[in-house]
Amino acid sequence: MSSLQSQALSVENFKDVLDSVEAFLFDCDGVIWKGDQLIDAASQTLDMLRHKGKKLVFVTNNSWKSRSQYAEKFKSLGISVSPDEIFSSSFAAAMYLKVNNFPTQNKVYVIGGDGILDELQLAGFTAFGGPGDADKTIDWKQNGFFEHDKSVGAVVVGIDPKINYYKLQYGTLCIRENPGCLFIATNRDAVGHMTPSQEWPGAGCMVAAMCGSTQKEPVVVGKPSTFMMDFLLEKFNLSCSKMCMVGDRLDTDILFGQNAGCKTLLVLSGCTTQSDLQDPSNNIQPDFYASKISDMLDLLGA
Amino acid sequence: MMLRSSSTIAATSVGVCHTQRLWSHSVTLNYRLSQFAGNPLLSNSAFVKWKRNIGSSNKNNRFRMATKALAQPLQNADELIDSVETFIFDCDGVIWKGDSLIEGVPETLDMLRSKGKRLVFVTNNSTKSRKQYGKKFETLGLNVNAEEIFASSFAVAAYLKSIDFPKDKKVYVIGEDGILKELELAGYQYVGGPEDGGKKIELKPGFLMEHDEDVGAVVVGFDRYFNYYKVQYGTLCIRENPGCLFIATNRDAVTHLTDAQEWAGGGSMVGALVGSTQREPLVVGKPSTFMMDYLANEFGISKSQICMVGDRLDTDILFGQNGGCKTLLVLSGVTTLPVLQSPNNSIQPDFYTNKISDFLSLKAAAV
Repeated sequence: MSSLQSQALSVENFKDVLDSVEAFLFDCDGVIWKGDQLIDAASQTLDMLRHKGKKLVFVTNNSWKSRSQYAEKFKSLGISVSPDEIFSSSFAAAMYLKVNNFPTQNKVYVIGGDGILDELQLAGFTAFGGPGDADKTIDWKQNGFFEHDKSVGAVVVGIDPKINYYKLQYGTLCIRENPGCLFIATNRDAVGHMTPSQEWPGAGCMVAAMCGSTQKEPVVVGKPSTFMMDFLLEKFNLSCSKMCMVGDRLDTDILFGQNAGCKTLLVLSGCTTQSDLQDPSNNIQPDFYASKISDMLDLLGA
Repeated sequence: MMLRSSSTIAATSVGVCHTQRLWSHSVTLNYRLSQFAGNPLLSNSAFVKWKRNIGSSNKNNRFRMATKALAQPLQNADELIDSVETFIFDCDGVIWKGDSLIEGVPETLDMLRSKGKRLVFVTNNSTKSRKQYGKKFETLGLNVNAEEIFASSFAVAAYLKSIDFPKDKKVYVIGEDGILKELELAGYQYVGGPEDGGKKIELKPGFLMEHDEDVGAVVVGFDRYFNYYKVQYGTLCIRENPGCLFIATNRDAVTHLTDAQEWAGGGSMVGALVGSTQREPLVVGKPSTFMMDYLANEFGISKSQICMVGDRLDTDILFGQNGGCKTLLVLSGVTTLPVLQSPNNSIQPDFYTNKISDFLSLKAAAV
């Protein structure tokens, strides 16, 4: 964990990076795109890196879409990316269950979007909840009993703009009453990127709501937890020392890279500014920083 | 009979939560650090919030406490009754369960009143105002005035009054009717509440959620009509309105809306706002001593002359201990004897008994 001041990416140090790094891991929101708009020259930058034989992996905490839905998004923005190169936290949740031999006869209750449901189902698990529970209400006058499925063995919580009391109660009963029920969080980001014009509450909100009612802490599969890193290191047979994590958030992306022991590059095209980085209260120092990923293109051309 | 003087749990040092100490048990104990700056009513009630961080490798991050006396079964009810002037009762699980009165309650309350004891009812439930609670007591055949009831809905309004919250500022409410009624009674303007439960948002480019810049406080409590709109509205106020307060009625994980099962409680809604704002709230409900300080001041009673009676260790009993008064746990609510006596529990009330009507039966037995 380097406590040295972050260096601005330059012609010299970028040359060293290119020579020593075989794989680049990119966050998506604030790095490749902002909302539904591609960040300047992102496409050309990725092409350049591929041309130089570098492996590209996209690691996003946004669990709203599945990997194939993210591949569609890349495609709509003119970038060719295979779903296999994308590691969304929705996918991470499914892989966590797989890697830990979650029994397929147990069900999974989801507080989150279709992205999570799709990935769970693709991995062979029976998942329910998600957007389907968005309109569920409770008839308070009835004074009835709130039932829940006793075969739920895991509750997965991700960003959910359709959060409501029904879902909170369902998830709470599963975690509190089903013996051994897992509580998994896709990520804990306070902020989610739902529209380009302002910030919105992220998965951290829904996860903290569930922590509040269960008094339990979840297993977090997204950044900065190293679960995704360990998974992709093994999948792609990569070595940390030959990797560089590129992201716009210090407490998820950069910390993620540092926890794994790879190089880190902060871009200022997302939610972190130069003054945030250099603020005395900040103690997460990436190896390098640049204004956006296409600086890599410019520095090469210089 | 051994009476514990001051609580060994109440910690007044602000620095405590940053000090590494070791627990010998894993506990459900909540210490809460609330900075009630500038409020003389609360300056002595600061208590430490320590959220247990259960990371994957965090088994070593525990606190070790000095051994305390174990809770004693209540045997001589008269002695306890004679030693205090005031009884503070929690409601759910002590007086009633859901909408049914617990056995022997009316006679017990009458007996205490006939002995000249002051009775106060303190509940974390913010769905009703004190007046509405008064009606519930009446429906159950109990003789209780609204002025003897301190619901966390009332505590919010009382807190704002105690800090001279400006009347030209607004309060955004994520919670139910009880809070709205108390704010209105206290003369504060509010926005939000249950009607925001029907607000929909279209999350697409071009949509911008506006918020009222005059909101000076966001109050969060138990809310069955909780939704993303409210979280975003509250978050925008807290993050963007300078000096905006973040107040929680309480942080109970679960609540007994019906006597048949547990329901996700105010701790859930408050947790959501903590998650999105990354700020901790000022808590006015138990175990914060705000309500205790308020009523002690209001009625001119000394804490050593109070006995707190409740069914929850981490709210009621901790409330009593933090306040420096005697504590009696009843087993007619959510806490069972095995839970009280579990090695994982380190909150020890002075006494425990099955239900409050034991005051009558134990008294009879002692004769």
